[in-house]
Amino acid sequence: MMKKNKGDLLPALGFIAPNFIGFLIFTVGPVIFSLVVAFTSWNLEEPGPLKFVGFGNFIDLAHDENFHLYMLNTIYMMIGIPISIAGSLGLALLLSQKLKGIVIYRTLFYLPSFTSGVALMILWINLYNPEFGPINSILNSFFSAAHVAGHAPDWLLSTRNLFGMDVEHVRFTSKQFGLGARDAIIIMGVWMGLGGNNMLLYLAALTNVPEDLYEAAKIDGAAKWALFKNVTWPQLAPTTFFISVISLIGGFQAGFEQARVMTQGGPANTTTTISYYIYSQAFEQFKMGYASAISWVLFVIISVMTIINWKLGNRESAY
Amino acid sequence: MKQFILYTFLGLMALTVVAWALIPRRVVDGKVALTWTSDDNPARRGQITLFNQEHPKLKLTLDPDNSDMEKVIVQSIAGVGPDLFDSYDPLQLTAYVKSGIAWDITDELKKRGIDVNKTVWDVTKPDIELDGRVYGCPTNASGNALWCNKDLFDKAGVPIPKGPWQWRQFIPVAKKLTVIDPTGRNSQYGILIDWTGDWEQFCRQWGGHLYSPNGTKCTLDSPQCVAAVQFMSDLVNKYKVAPSASEQETMATAGGWGSGTISLFEGGHFATAIGGRWWLCTMRTEPSLHLAACECPYQDVQVYMGGAKGTLINKNSPYREQALDFSLYELSKPYNDLINHQADAMGPVIKYCYSPEFMHDPSYPDEIYNDVWRDALKYSVQGQISPYMNPVEQNLITTAEIQLVESGDKTAAEAMHDAAAKINAEIQQNISRDPALKARYDREIEQGRP
Repeated sequence: MMKKNKGDLLPALGFIAPNFIGFLIFTVGPVIFSLVVAFTSWNLEEPGPLKFVGFGNFIDLAHDENFHLYMLNTIYMMIGIPISIAGSLGLALLLSQKLKGIVIYRTLFYLPSFTSGVALMILWINLYNPEFGPINSILNSFFSAAHVAGHAPDWLLSTRNLFGMDVEHVRFTSKQFGLGARDAIIIMGVWMGLGGNNMLLYLAALTNVPEDLYEAAKIDGAAKWALFKNVTWPQLAPTTFFISVISLIGGFQAGFEQARVMTQGGPANTTTTISYYIYSQAFEQFKMGYASAISWVLFVIISVMTIINWKLGNRESAY
Repeated sequence: MKQFILYTFLGLMALTVVAWALIPRRVVDGKVALTWTSDDNPARRGQITLFNQEHPKLKLTLDPDNSDMEKVIVQSIAGVGPDLFDSYDPLQLTAYVKSGIAWDITDELKKRGIDVNKTVWDVTKPDIELDGRVYGCPTNASGNALWCNKDLFDKAGVPIPKGPWQWRQFIPVAKKLTVIDPTGRNSQYGILIDWTGDWEQFCRQWGGHLYSPNGTKCTLDSPQCVAAVQFMSDLVNKYKVAPSASEQETMATAGGWGSGTISLFEGGHFATAIGGRWWLCTMRTEPSLHLAACECPYQDVQVYMGGAKGTLINKNSPYREQALDFSLYELSKPYNDLINHQADAMGPVIKYCYSPEFMHDPSYPDEIYNDVWRDALKYSVQGQISPYMNPVEQNLITTAEIQLVESGDKTAAEAMHDAAAKINAEIQQNISRDPALKARYDREIEQGRP
């Protein structure tokens, strides 16, 4: 056991001090300040002493139908997460094969991750063009060839969605059933996420699966699916758990860039997510107190969901 | 190790000294440095250059990174704010005045014999005047008219219309200018409308208003507003002279990247578009575009939406007297001539928009329609706001409802009814949170001035 040397304490503190002081001033300070502000009516339009309003902002939030709608939008857009994770795993399995030129394939699939998000979004805006966009051109050709009287979706211009969620109220209506802006953003998100960091994490995890486990299973007569189900999948469980937790947290915080670049939160606010709502309340409407309250509610929701995920997921992945 | 920490500390101290030394000095070479937070563009830089030429003892510089309202207020209160900053609407002006950073220059102007009310266009006043006091001078003035693509008019054999005229007269003209290609698709439209930007002009022209006179109630559900939005829908669906949302998106691609209204119009698929003279700042760079302008049609009331920007002076600036020179410069002939020449909308002073230079700028001999913009300004008003409602929130609500009409998910009557209901609910919530606002609201209602 190493002997503690008290003489090292001061230099150690000296080393961490610059970073720690910065962390206190620029991270901890604003976070605590935002918690205080969440209980005030601070509005940048009327600067002055902060007025304490107790739980007023939180009570307003509970009755704010926009908040409910945007939370629903946020959760709806998270349906792409499991698809993206499954896709990343599938891609990692393919790219873990010992093939000639596999590095090139890996690089190609990772390309979207180091391309500017805004550039990709602008590309997708064009792909989703209702009349001349390649996606609708293909769909319309398909409808025409199959003699189906179908109409390709209006994508980013449409309020429709797969579950038929209403535009202005938290309810479902058959009138809204279809494909629209929310689905367009989900599809784009899945495409961007497939070959990204999740794929890299799975690739790294796959290289760590002991080869003798596969050999033992093969001796027992396991076929390809059985090998995946009984060896690969359990071995990847910690990685899958990690990716799920990170994706869930990211999912609740997502939607800002897409709303800002592609839709401005529309049409009719259907692509406004909680993060965009926080931005809008704070920096467009200057309601700092209310925006802070939303941020803290989001923090609590994310924390609770992460704990639930941790409790449930850890059972599966801890072996 | 201790030496390392000591050297680090000394290094940081040295950097602090350097940082102090680099703080900009307010007086350099005998010139007082003034800062103006505003948007950066070539026109703005030209305006600053002219000011510096005319004021050799001052050196005005632009700070485009700190023009957001919250930054201006916080920095000015902290004593490190700009000397001059912009006010884009009455709400911003109110916020600047309430926060105590806008200098009331009413008496300063009076001392110099200047009556701003008689000098500048009416449309500019909401950005500089509050409760009878003047807090700055307007930077420019703008009113909507109808841009015309001259080539498309010539091709259709339609002369550029002369105003004043009404929407019923516009429909047959727009139909002549709308072209359907052999595949049955529209290759050209009579008019480009910006649904979320133009709806208030249509409402005002039909005699409707966003709010009651004192802003206590949203009146978008009035028959006039419903009829106005219905007409916008009719332009697309009944008369088929304007594109639907998806057709407009298609045109954005066909006309080159850029979903903005100006880019769409520049694409050459629209014979007319509702817009301001400031569009020229962009469109002058498109030499293939041959332009004309005419008065915008109206319905029952001849009114057009307009806008302006005012430049205010920081009350806490140690050089506010010098900054006042900039306000006076905004009222001068050289400045107004420059604005008119740059087409950064129009000069704020009425009399300088009647000069021969304005009517016929030798640098732009094709622009023979400047009188249209000047006439439009006589009928231009700014968007209505209510003291009981945040305009950004109002805009979110109305944009969402207008988009639902545009997409065909709601009728004009449904959307306008819902918009009014939502805004009125918001007004009630706002006054319930603010006793002072509620007192003002109750007073207006009691005195029968809704």
